[in-house]
Amino acid sequence: MKKTTLVLALIFATGAVFAQKRTTSSATVTFDATTPKDALPKAENKTVIASFDPKTGAVAFEAAVKNFAFSNPKMQEHFNSANWMNSDQYSKFTFTGIVEKVSKVKLTKNGTYEVKVNGTLTIKDISKPLKANARLTVKDGKLSVVSNFSIKLSDYNITGQPVESGKVLKEPKVTVTAQF
Amino acid sequence: MSNTANTYSLEKWLHIFFGVGLLIVFFLPWVFWKDTPIHGYYMPSGRFFHISGTQFNLENPFPQFSFTFYIFWLIPILAGVTIILAYRQRRTTWTAFITAALTLSLVTVFYLFTKTLIDLGIGDNVFSMLKISAYLAAIFAIGLILTAIPPVNWLKKMAWLLVGPLFAFLGFMLVENYVWNETHEDTNTVKADYTVNASDLIRDFAANDTAANNKYREKILVVNGVVSQAEHMTDSTTNIQFADSTGSYIIFSFDKEQYEKVKNIQAGDVVSAKGSCSGSIFSEILGTTSISFKRSTLNKNKQ
Repeated sequence: MKKTTLVLALIFATGAVFAQKRTTSSATVTFDATTPKDALPKAENKTVIASFDPKTGAVAFEAAVKNFAFSNPKMQEHFNSANWMNSDQYSKFTFTGIVEKVSKVKLTKNGTYEVKVNGTLTIKDISKPLKANARLTVKDGKLSVVSNFSIKLSDYNITGQPVESGKVLKEPKVTVTAQF
Repeated sequence: MSNTANTYSLEKWLHIFFGVGLLIVFFLPWVFWKDTPIHGYYMPSGRFFHISGTQFNLENPFPQFSFTFYIFWLIPILAGVTIILAYRQRRTTWTAFITAALTLSLVTVFYLFTKTLIDLGIGDNVFSMLKISAYLAAIFAIGLILTAIPPVNWLKKMAWLLVGPLFAFLGFMLVENYVWNETHEDTNTVKADYTVNASDLIRDFAANDTAANNKYREKILVVNGVVSQAEHMTDSTTNIQFADSTGSYIIFSFDKEQYEKVKNIQAGDVVSAKGSCSGSIFSEILGTTSISFKRSTLNKNKQ
């Protein structure tokens, strides 16, 4: 009887641990607006803060705009300038959303899940709904997330000659990866 | 004979008119960047790049060569000399040609630089941003070449019309090419702007994050401290953190090129890290302040 209780308690405790909200401060967001005319507008931020709650399916990330690293200094300057990301005033991108049908994701056994995420992406204080596909991989209790999606620059009032002339992609590709 | 004299006289007065016109428009606004007028003489006076740098974040990529822009002071000086020479019926070809070529090259630079600002989202159309004075400067310069005393053959005139814009265009393209192919300087070789202890840096941001962001953002810092967390990723990149008791932390992101240097770093190690500070954000997710660094490296020379 005691043994059964102990096993049950362990199962509950393990379940509780797995069900806890997970966070990381080392998620990655890559931003790729390259075109055949210009290979420079591409950057990566590897210190993105992200969270995932396996119980509710709530996901979120926050990325410091200034920590997007470009290979070219001038491109980085342009990206952060007042007319583009205005990172002096708007210091981060944020996303909050929900993983649909999260109950099918079993964190207790290895596996890969294709899921849909619905949420809101906020850039420069402008919030727009965002739907994205994501792949969740569970391996030895660790969860990896990869999601690819595109954003419309005009949704966030980012316009200008480079976008119009085809130097910068109108809908850059964004990739989010995180390990919890 | 009388007709020839009249023609010369007309050309002389036209020449003087173009010279006087150029002298005047040089001191008038040639272009408006947003609401800021940029006069022709702003280039040699240094205000051109001062305004582009301070107001529009587009600085002179070669400030060490700023002195070369003094050459554009020759425009009003030689325009004045040309007027005097023309009035006295003397030969003006060299002064007029140099004045005009410099003016046309300056107009070309104004045009190309304004186009670059448009790429930054400042304005929509270069032709509407350029003002009547810039167009008049070009017209007066062309006029000055065409009416030079004594008249020269058309081949020479064409050459002087094209030499200024051509040099300006080629120079601008060379500079632009250099700027777009430039990469960040190796953090190892850059002199640090500040050397701080991790706890002191976190305290600075906690005390006044606006002041700390203004002070440290985009500066190269050496941060010394005890590592609170080290994450070695599967792609050979590494993040290390220095945290304080409140949970606020500094995070350095190391590229895979740094892997050999940082692969053995663990929590508890005393480390001196160097990188470009991206400033702080307050994380709603973690409820703490995060101060991030990019282009990080281990500091070779602990200071």
